[in-house]
Amino acid sequence: MRAPDRRRAVALACALVGALVAAPARATFGFDDLMATLAARKSGEARFAEERTVSGLDQPLRYSGTMSFSAPDRLERQTLTPRRESFVVEGNQVTLQRGERVRRLPLDSAPELAAMVAALRGTLAGDGSVLRRYFKVSVEGSAPRWTMTLVPLDFQLLGTVRLLRIDGMQAEVRVVELQLADGDRSVTTIEPLPSKARAATP
Amino acid sequence: MTAAPSRHHRVAVLVWLIALALGALVIAHTRISTDLTAFLPAAPDARQRALVEQLKSGIAARTLLMAIDGGDAARRAAASHALADRLRADGAFEQVLNGDFSAFAALGRWVFDHRYALSPAVDARRFGVDGLSEAIDDTLSLLGTPAGALVKPMLERDPTGESLRIAEGALSGGGPRTQGGVWVSRDGQQALLMAQTRAVGSDLDAQAQALATIQRAFAEAAAPGLALLVSGAPKFAVDSRAQIQGEARTLIATGSVLMGGLLLIAFASLRALGAALLPVATGVVAGIAVVSLGFGSVHGATLGFGIALIGEAVDYAIYYLIQARRSAGSAPGQGWRDWVRHSWPTVRLGLLTSICGFLALAFSGFPGLAQLGVFSIAGLVAAALTTRHVLPIWLPDGTRGLGLRRHLGRGAAWLVRVLPRWRHAFSALGVAALALLLWRHDTLWQTELSSLSPVSAQALALDTHLRDELLAGDERTMVAISGRDVQDVLQRVEAVSQRLDALVQRGQLIGYDAITRFVPSLATQQRRRAALPDEATLRANLAQATAGGALPAQRLAPFVQDVQRAREAPAITPESLADTPASSIAAALLVRGSDGISTALLPVVRTPGPAGADAAQAIERAVAGVAGAQAFNVGDELHRLYAHYLREAQGQALFGAAGVVLLMALWLRSLPRLLAVCKPLLLAVLLTMAGFAAGGIALGILHLVGLLLVVAVGSNYSLFLDWLRHQDSADEDTLASLLLANLTIVLSFGLIAASAIPALGSIGRVVAPGALLALLLSAAYAAPRPPSH
Repeated sequence: MRAPDRRRAVALACALVGALVAAPARATFGFDDLMATLAARKSGEARFAEERTVSGLDQPLRYSGTMSFSAPDRLERQTLTPRRESFVVEGNQVTLQRGERVRRLPLDSAPELAAMVAALRGTLAGDGSVLRRYFKVSVEGSAPRWTMTLVPLDFQLLGTVRLLRIDGMQAEVRVVELQLADGDRSVTTIEPLPSKARAATP
Repeated sequence: MTAAPSRHHRVAVLVWLIALALGALVIAHTRISTDLTAFLPAAPDARQRALVEQLKSGIAARTLLMAIDGGDAARRAAASHALADRLRADGAFEQVLNGDFSAFAALGRWVFDHRYALSPAVDARRFGVDGLSEAIDDTLSLLGTPAGALVKPMLERDPTGESLRIAEGALSGGGPRTQGGVWVSRDGQQALLMAQTRAVGSDLDAQAQALATIQRAFAEAAAPGLALLVSGAPKFAVDSRAQIQGEARTLIATGSVLMGGLLLIAFASLRALGAALLPVATGVVAGIAVVSLGFGSVHGATLGFGIALIGEAVDYAIYYLIQARRSAGSAPGQGWRDWVRHSWPTVRLGLLTSICGFLALAFSGFPGLAQLGVFSIAGLVAAALTTRHVLPIWLPDGTRGLGLRRHLGRGAAWLVRVLPRWRHAFSALGVAALALLLWRHDTLWQTELSSLSPVSAQALALDTHLRDELLAGDERTMVAISGRDVQDVLQRVEAVSQRLDALVQRGQLIGYDAITRFVPSLATQQRRRAALPDEATLRANLAQATAGGALPAQRLAPFVQDVQRAREAPAITPESLADTPASSIAAALLVRGSDGISTALLPVVRTPGPAGADAAQAIERAVAGVAGAQAFNVGDELHRLYAHYLREAQGQALFGAAGVVLLMALWLRSLPRLLAVCKPLLLAVLLTMAGFAAGGIALGILHLVGLLLVVAVGSNYSLFLDWLRHQDSADEDTLASLLLANLTIVLSFGLIAASAIPALGSIGRVVAPGALLALLLSAAYAAPRPPSH
């Protein structure tokens, strides 16, 4: 009696393991696929429009301008309206400019900023390890239309940021939604510009 | 004839007893200090004075650096929070920082309350319609981002973001990484904390208590498997005190036992042993008393080193005890008369030459070394006088015991017979040593101030690591601005700040800190206050500026109120800061010297890499033309300071040596004899130095002290041997006394050489071999004719 039981159990276990191993292969689109897709793109430029809904304010805050990324780690955001402002991060160096005033600070001295930058740079560069260092990541959808949700791992960051949701099509990021712990929300829609390389060719 | 000496004796004993009693009285009221900065020089110029003052009593002297090691990141973070909470609850700490921003709450509130006096953005335009509109937009732009949580609670009181503007200016580049809400090392393997004690750095009992509190709190708060590393000036001071006390006890105990044993074997008489220690004890009492009277307190290190230095004093007793032995034919009780006639002049000359040597120390710029010099001089004089005037009463014929005396005498006689044959070899060695020293002259001397520090290399390495982690960047670049009038100094700080701001804008500097962030000059405060509009104007401007915007003006009534309050608020002055949360920061940035000079220190953090390459020159240019302002690098400055004092000490040592030679020349009145006496001393010094050079050990100021001592002790040997050479009959007793005296010195300094306190060890390692060489070489060059058997 015992031997067949054990055999059956082993068979069941094998079947389970097999199912687990086979599962990613069967899924149409996963985190690793997304990262591979994103990593193929080395640089990009886009127009953005951001709308923030903040409790206590009479109306939403709106910003627009351009963004650019070049692998591995240069991220630039130029706000053009309502006021000019620039935010450039390259490696560990952050440069903020507003009017005549320039501020520089090392990224790792501001942990919340570091996490936000990691989310953007990690996504744009397709660097899964960076994303996983800061966030619990889940991916839904398929290559033509995917959504990645990032939930902070750090409990302190979790106190301010609830989650980030990034929507995209293939290697293009189209919407970045930031939900803060206090209910405030920011939605940035991104309109890719034809790449510089192409624009530069006569 | 018998009445005279007895009256003399009575007077001598009376004077000695009174002196001892007075000495004991002074000692009973003596404060023993263990402040490490006694071995920092009393600096000559203003910025160095500010620097030393800062090192002595500034925030650095009260700052403890801590690291939590072991376990995993979560446990370390939890331990960091728990430890910081406990320490904050304890009254002993003024500030405990572990990367938890809530720790800044009190300072933050103070800054917030004074934002209109402190914000550099406050000017007339700021509160006009355009200025308000821009400032409010800037503040709103942070909402809806993770930073919004910081801004939102104070939006209605500070819509123009003055508190953010002030915070921006504070050094942001310096902080360590944060992980799990606490500071961590760059490799993430340690949680880091920093604490400032309330007690001043020199209050070592309080510092020791604070350290004990930290250990206790950590033991209660931390999970098993975690370890706490503590460093910082107070830790060094407390540890050194314990170490110096411990070592002094061990050295005195072992030294006494060994020396006592040696003397006991040599004399075979307890009474003689007691007599030998009498001048030493008197010397110690005199040394402590005189230093205490002259300096107000006695440094623990002085005590330790000083007792070692007057090990020379035991020689006097040995000379007396052996040499005063009654010669055949003289009446009992008259041996001391012969000694006074024959030997005392030589001992006195030896004493004078030693004083010459130690005078060099007494005039040293290092308070610690000056104490050593004074201690040694007072101690030696007292010991010599005790030998000369008190010992004859107790043991008028020296000591009768034979003990090892005969063997010592024979051994010494053998030495003086054999060694002169090796003269040429010694001379050749001396020339070789000189050649080696000349060849190595570049690397011969240490250039590190830390060589004076009694702190071990391991402890220094931990400190460097923690300092680098916690106070990253090069916080060692500073601008110092000093002057008599505080407000004047503050205005000049503002002038320099403006120029430094430009360098920050250009990216050459990461940032800088300045007292005027917390105490602007009265003129600046006045200007800012004048920029604040009255209620009606502000309301009108606000209404226009916010029209159609996201933040309606009617929500900003608290802002209008705060601005009105700021118009009435009393000005901030360095004095008014005393009991505020800003006081400790302000104390680090503005040093009020006891001489009425105020010095503002601006620590500057240069941008690493090529961007900050020309920062040094740029900073120099920024301070150019501002009166009393100077830029310097703390490390370079300490180097310069040390080099200055090393040169000074070398000069003084040479001067002292010249004094020794002059004294001997006056006494001997013969060039050949002078050469015979000086040559062995010079050779002993050269060979000792060459030994260090050959071993690759750079010499520091304390080695120099050791060399002085070699000359001081050695001059006794060479003078005695020279004197014997010119006597008709060289006696074995004198030779025996020299050998015994030398053995005691070599033994006691051999012990000191093994000391774990670097400074103490270096004196021992010079004197033990140097003194031995001095005796052997004296025997070789100034040897008397062999005694006739």
